[in-house]
Amino acid sequence: MRPSLKLTKMGWIALTYFVLSLFAFIYLSPFIRSFVASFMTWEQASKYPPEWIPNPFTLENYMKLFRLELFPRWIFNTALYAGLIVVGNIVFSSMAGYAFARLKFPGRDALFSALLALLMIPIFVTLVPNYIIIYRLGLIDNIVGLALLSLANVPSTFLMRQYFLSLPQEVFDAARIDGCGPIKSFFYIGLPLAKPALGAVAVYQFLGAWNAFLGPLVFLRSPENFTLPVGLSFAFQRSMWTEYTPIIAGSLVAAAPTIVLFIALNKYLIKGIVVQAGKG
Amino acid sequence: MFKQVKGDENMARVFLKNVVKKFGKVVAVNNVTLEVKDKEFMVLLGPSGCGKSTTLRLIAGLETPDEGEIWIGNRLVNEIDPTKRNVAMVFQSYALYPHMTVYRNIEFPLKMARVPKEERRRKVIEVARFLGIEDLLNRYPKQLSGGQQQRVALARAIVREPEVFLLDEPLSNLDAKLRVKMRFELRRLLHDELQTTTIYVTHDQVEAMTMADRIAVMNAGKIMQVGSPIDVFEKPANIFVAGFIGVPPMNFFEGTLIEKQNNLLLDLGSILFRIPKTYYSTLHPHVGSEIVMGIRPQDIKVALEPQEGSYEGKIVGYEPLGTETYIHFTINGIKEYVAVIPRGMRISLKQKVYWKPNLQKLYFFRKSTGEAIY
Ligand SMILES: Nc1ncnc2c1ncn2[C@@H]1O[C@H](COP(=O)(O)OP(=O)(O)OP(=O)(O)O)[C@@H](O)[C@H]1O
Ligand SMILES: [Mg+2]
Repeated sequence: MRPSLKLTKMGWIALTYFVLSLFAFIYLSPFIRSFVASFMTWEQASKYPPEWIPNPFTLENYMKLFRLELFPRWIFNTALYAGLIVVGNIVFSSMAGYAFARLKFPGRDALFSALLALLMIPIFVTLVPNYIIIYRLGLIDNIVGLALLSLANVPSTFLMRQYFLSLPQEVFDAARIDGCGPIKSFFYIGLPLAKPALGAVAVYQFLGAWNAFLGPLVFLRSPENFTLPVGLSFAFQRSMWTEYTPIIAGSLVAAAPTIVLFIALNKYLIKGIVVQAGKG
Repeated sequence: MFKQVKGDENMARVFLKNVVKKFGKVVAVNNVTLEVKDKEFMVLLGPSGCGKSTTLRLIAGLETPDEGEIWIGNRLVNEIDPTKRNVAMVFQSYALYPHMTVYRNIEFPLKMARVPKEERRRKVIEVARFLGIEDLLNRYPKQLSGGQQQRVALARAIVREPEVFLLDEPLSNLDAKLRVKMRFELRRLLHDELQTTTIYVTHDQVEAMTMADRIAVMNAGKIMQVGSPIDVFEKPANIFVAGFIGVPPMNFFEGTLIEKQNNLLLDLGSILFRIPKTYYSTLHPHVGSEIVMGIRPQDIKVALEPQEGSYEGKIVGYEPLGTETYIHFTINGIKEYVAVIPRGMRISLKQKVYWKPNLQKLYFFRKSTGEAIY
């Protein structure tokens, strides 16, 4: 009885691992393919059936990329864009989330519901009005102007609100009696305790901003102002290369920070998901 | 606002006048009037959900009353922010700031009050020494035991030298042994050494009896009785207080009061209970109405043989506690009553016993209102 039970259990575990590995492989295979292909010549990479070992091994794709005059500029632009958005979200979403979670003011819940309803509006609906606003402000073709649109957003606010709700009320009551008004309470108690949630917001926003395509495409015009995703696609469309391998290499370089970030900070991402799922 | 004159009688008295607090349809605090005198140790005692915490939070300013007035010292504080009321509160969960060390936790209220750094340092160390937690100053709350956290919470309250201490079930998270130890320690500290007005919330009557100068017994948002521990025990104002205070709870016998040949009798249905003459004048006006007689389990003598003035009962259960035993008995199979018997008395289930109350220690209440008659 016992041993057979143990055996079935091990069988299940083996099966689970097998299925999970299979899925992991399926999800990873495009990435693996890109990685391998970035070291191939275009000639070899376009062969059918596909080959998996670069032969000859070449760094030429990466060299081409770095020879591209605007490449460093695009990286800088993307970093600036992502940085502004991360800082903006940390500041504004945490304040808004705190207000929705901890302060009492008339219309609070109605306002919050309205915010959530915003999530149901596709971004294409707001694209034109946003464009007009930014245009009127004279900020078209300007990274800062573009970032302005995303300095706060609903999901970050929601996440911060949920996190603040999950903190014990008594700690805030204690702070109030100890002499904190709502603002001191935010800076001395709320914000330091919200570090995990802030980490999650920062990571999400960084990933989103680093990979953003539509916004930069619509709001930026001159190549020297492009972000990396738009820049690479621009380079591709203008047929600066007739080959795809440099583009693959470019995408990998562009993705590198996000991958590193993900590996380093994925506990915050998970935390963020848990927080959002926690309380309604 | 005016500065208080030193030596003023009202220095740190707390006075609630007809205070009402509702949460939607729930009336958490129902027309409460309560005076806590300067330097008094007042315990708010009542069952879970009776509004004790809400009362405390109203005094602290964490909730605003729907009606009534709250006075601290000579100030009407209804409109005054909690930060300016000069009260300190210790919460049931201690509510320490998890991201600050013990030192920063204790320092925090001083920092908020813009006390200069050197003075803050001096005070924190002084208070920590006073409570025996100097060694813990660099730890974080999660690195402390329950009892240590409790001391830190106390230190944080004491360091501000508030006019009033508010404590909400501060001992309920501690184990039984530590609780007993802290009971005395707290009382000594807050009342004897610091001599500060204290309002202490608990649902534990032993805590209330041992610590309080006066107890305010609450039920369903209302104050049932305010008095010294002895008072509420000896002279309960109503059935609720009588039943709530005392372990095991008081026995209640319901019946109609009748008079026969100048003797008062309580018709309990199965037996006619003779009420001693001492109660005659007080009870006489109630002849013909339904009343409730109360007898504490400690005031019932149980014997195995019939005696003069004893009534028959049958044992349906017993709880030996070591020092004494509680027995549960019925009279003609209806309702259960409890008596305390000394250890060593040999009894068994379903045994017939003869019980006899101490006739000097009877309580009588109106059945309709629950008010005490005697
Ligand atoms: N913020 C609130 N919102 C709604 N109802 C509340 C709120 N706070 C308390 N109540 C209700 O008010 C009543 C009194 O609550 P309170 O916390 O004062 O009781 P308590 O005597 O402290 O009980 P316990 O001994 O369980 O702590 C309860 O019925 C409770 O459900
Ligand atoms: Mg409570």
